[in-house]
Amino acid sequence: MARGFSRQQIGVTGAMIDSYGDLIFQLSHNMQTRRGDPIRTLDFEGIEASRDELGMSDGQIAARVGLSEPQVMYIRNMMERRNFNSRHYHRLLELGGGKRFREERFTDHTERFHYHDDAIALREAMAFAPDRARHYSEQGWWADDTLSGWLARHVSQRPEAAAIIQGDLVINYADLGDRVDRLAGGLHGLGLGQGDVIAVQLPNIAEYLISYLAIARLGGVMTTLYMPHREREFETLLTHSRARALICLSDAGGFPAAETALGLKLPKLQSVIAIGPVASAVPGAVAFEDLANGTASANKLNLPLPVAADPFLLLYTSGTTASPKAVPHNSHTMLGNARLGAGEHLLTADDVILSAPPFGHLFALYSFHLALYTGAANLLLATFTPPDLARVVEDGRATALFTAPAHMAACLGMGLFDKHDWSSLSLAVLSGSAVPGDMARAVAVKMPNCAMTQLWGMTETQGGLYCRPGDGIDIASRSAGRPAPGVEARISDEGELQVRGSMLFPSYFDNPGANEAAFTDDGWFRSGDLAARDAIGNIAITGRIKDIINRGGVKYNPREIEDLLDGHPDIAQSAIVPMPDDVLGERACCFAVATDKNLDLNQVCAYLLEKGIAKTKLPERLVLMDEMPMTPTRKIIKGRLVLPEI
Amino acid sequence: MEIDAEDAKKTILDYCLRKGALAAGVADLAALERIAPPGHRPSDLMPKIKSVISLGVGGQTQGAWSVPAKAMGYFGSTETRAYTIAYGAAFLIESRYQTPAIYCPPDMDNEKGPRVPLQSLKLHAEVAGIGARSLAGDILLHPEFGYMYFASIFTELELPPDQPMETNPCPAPSCVAMYRQIGRTPCQKFCPVQCLSGSIDEDGKQAEMHYDMAACAEMSQQYEAVPAMLSEAMAAEDAQGREDALFDPDNKMLWYKMSVGSGGLLAQCFECMRVCPIATKAPLADPIRRSIAKEGV
Repeated sequence: MARGFSRQQIGVTGAMIDSYGDLIFQLSHNMQTRRGDPIRTLDFEGIEASRDELGMSDGQIAARVGLSEPQVMYIRNMMERRNFNSRHYHRLLELGGGKRFREERFTDHTERFHYHDDAIALREAMAFAPDRARHYSEQGWWADDTLSGWLARHVSQRPEAAAIIQGDLVINYADLGDRVDRLAGGLHGLGLGQGDVIAVQLPNIAEYLISYLAIARLGGVMTTLYMPHREREFETLLTHSRARALICLSDAGGFPAAETALGLKLPKLQSVIAIGPVASAVPGAVAFEDLANGTASANKLNLPLPVAADPFLLLYTSGTTASPKAVPHNSHTMLGNARLGAGEHLLTADDVILSAPPFGHLFALYSFHLALYTGAANLLLATFTPPDLARVVEDGRATALFTAPAHMAACLGMGLFDKHDWSSLSLAVLSGSAVPGDMARAVAVKMPNCAMTQLWGMTETQGGLYCRPGDGIDIASRSAGRPAPGVEARISDEGELQVRGSMLFPSYFDNPGANEAAFTDDGWFRSGDLAARDAIGNIAITGRIKDIINRGGVKYNPREIEDLLDGHPDIAQSAIVPMPDDVLGERACCFAVATDKNLDLNQVCAYLLEKGIAKTKLPERLVLMDEMPMTPTRKIIKGRLVLPEI
Repeated sequence: MEIDAEDAKKTILDYCLRKGALAAGVADLAALERIAPPGHRPSDLMPKIKSVISLGVGGQTQGAWSVPAKAMGYFGSTETRAYTIAYGAAFLIESRYQTPAIYCPPDMDNEKGPRVPLQSLKLHAEVAGIGARSLAGDILLHPEFGYMYFASIFTELELPPDQPMETNPCPAPSCVAMYRQIGRTPCQKFCPVQCLSGSIDEDGKQAEMHYDMAACAEMSQQYEAVPAMLSEAMAAEDAQGREDALFDPDNKMLWYKMSVGSGGLLAQCFECMRVCPIATKAPLADPIRRSIAKEGV
């Protein structure tokens, strides 16, 4: 306060400021109006006539309003403080480069984009240990990789090269870039933007990859729904992921996906985008074609480019109906892993890469990441069936196949290696479940010029361990090879494989309980897989910790029993799980899909005893199934095997 | 001591021009006393004052108008050249004419509070005939030198006054043409906070000038922004909010300017002058033009 007087000393009250503040502010120099040019012309009458408008001193205002000068000074300053906008100078800073301010093009900062709360919550989940982040950056494992950046590189350097091959449809990189750009613009037009989660439920068709890239270009986050997912999974996963949009088929083999999603009336699901001939007929849905053919492209709209630290994938590992485990990844973890892996797999821009599993699964996305990094072509198989896989490999001249053991086993069982030409393949990467050694060797015999490798990975890790193409089938049939670049692996005293590295997700989104169990105190990820390392460093996955049978204190891994049973002439698939027992704590129960419906427990045990298995490891109950619950990569979901009442 | 007022005036003004002023003049004290509000009249500060001398130095260089970095282009140190000359002139008056003189600082009036200067240097310059009020918030313009920074000297030495400029160079013909087309002059159209408005009459002269000085001040007067920042920090709901309020990049920049006394972005943003044809294209508006004129190129 000038002259050191307090508000109380000069008698100013809040009521006085409220009452006279606006008037004083207007009369003061803060608002000035000059009529004509009276000062230069020394028109004293004109000056006096317009003195009120020219801006009065505090003393003049005091005389006019009937307050003391100190009161006016105090009130004027309070009003200047209240009316002050401390952010206005941003307008000036935006005028760099000789540009001029244009009101019609200006959007106030308060009205500009900001991440909504859900997006911020997801970004909060991207918390990495500082020392790890520094290490990964220093090593170059984390860099500026983004899907948009990779795509732009190929659009610029190899525009005519094939990016997607789907039957007769060939989309080159220039065309792909254009389609992605327009779809991203279309999504933006729906009010979707940076940080928004967009779910995708599609088979492996071109629209899947275009959507994925468009979501990434938008700065959004893709979450995936498997094709078998129905209303219950929709509700759980779309709610948990806070998805703002869903891209799906209007008719997924009889399942009205778009209509189902709309019918859920989820409060955060703003848009359902439907693909298919009847998409426009789904009330409330947006037709994918309309968005994809729009003119407001992301680049024209000058949408900001994503950066590597932005989360862009949110994938679910389990708990599709209860307590979902959602794995967020950013480009650092996900794309760095693919960049480092491309050379290890000996992939180049000349490759034609085919994924047998659906893109909803990370293993398939890994194959896509490898293709997009190298600039290879993505050969698409919409939905796996053994004959279709064989046909697409043959027709599309695939050079690299990413597949699950069950896929290969099925093709082998149907004799498809003899009926089709698989000779274009130079690499086959098996992953998604345990690889039976005999099966791998049998397939290798059928494809003598193809390097068969095994990869171990999880949604949390993407490509963690893998064999290299030069390892040979002996190593590949019995191990998942060695850690990928940027990955460290160790085996705990309990035999559990634990990993850490630049590819590792930071934490489960919105599931603190799962996070507590997932990491060791020193920050390694507990894979839950049992593993053994051989003398030259190859790591074999031997089972799952939670599958261990503890029979009266005698613990054993049922994996070797299952491997033997899979060789039984009357058993197609088997799974051994613990069943509670009042005396021993646990006993082993064998679930089996048998070709002989009369198969009984005694026959099974006799077979195993003949193979040299100890009596303590024999299953003590047999449950015959018509089919096993399977993951998209054809892995048996043991958690869904329910013991029937006796 | 006998002093020839005309000779003394010439000596003092020549000194100012020799030291780097582009223009200098003597304001009519009686007119100033009549126009300035009570408390801000020259005699309020110097009761025995007889003359007010006003001088102007060159404004921005051509480079300053074109560089992308605003903080570089508008770094507010140019005006110190004017104050240096004025200070020297006050010394000259006292030493040569043994009459009290004082350089009148462009400072706030400690007793009148923030945003209130001791004196209006603009009024001194206008009455001394070295500038005329423009549509750009009454910033003074000169037909030859464009946009200048001003300084004043008060003295008890009586000097014959000059007259205000006969004509006002603002608005320039191109601005009148633009106004006729879109209803706004360049300074009005391109002001980042749209603090300027007004009208031009049928003769192409200024009819009205409206200036929202409050909005203009918001652009750059960071002595307001710093207390606002502290207030926000105190009102923040949590530690993160307080941290943001005090240390986000923009606010940290304010601290920097406060702590090192940087003049960057203080006072005005100058966008109105950057688009003003008089400020930037007057025959002697910048050192390049003055140099060319001097060499007769």
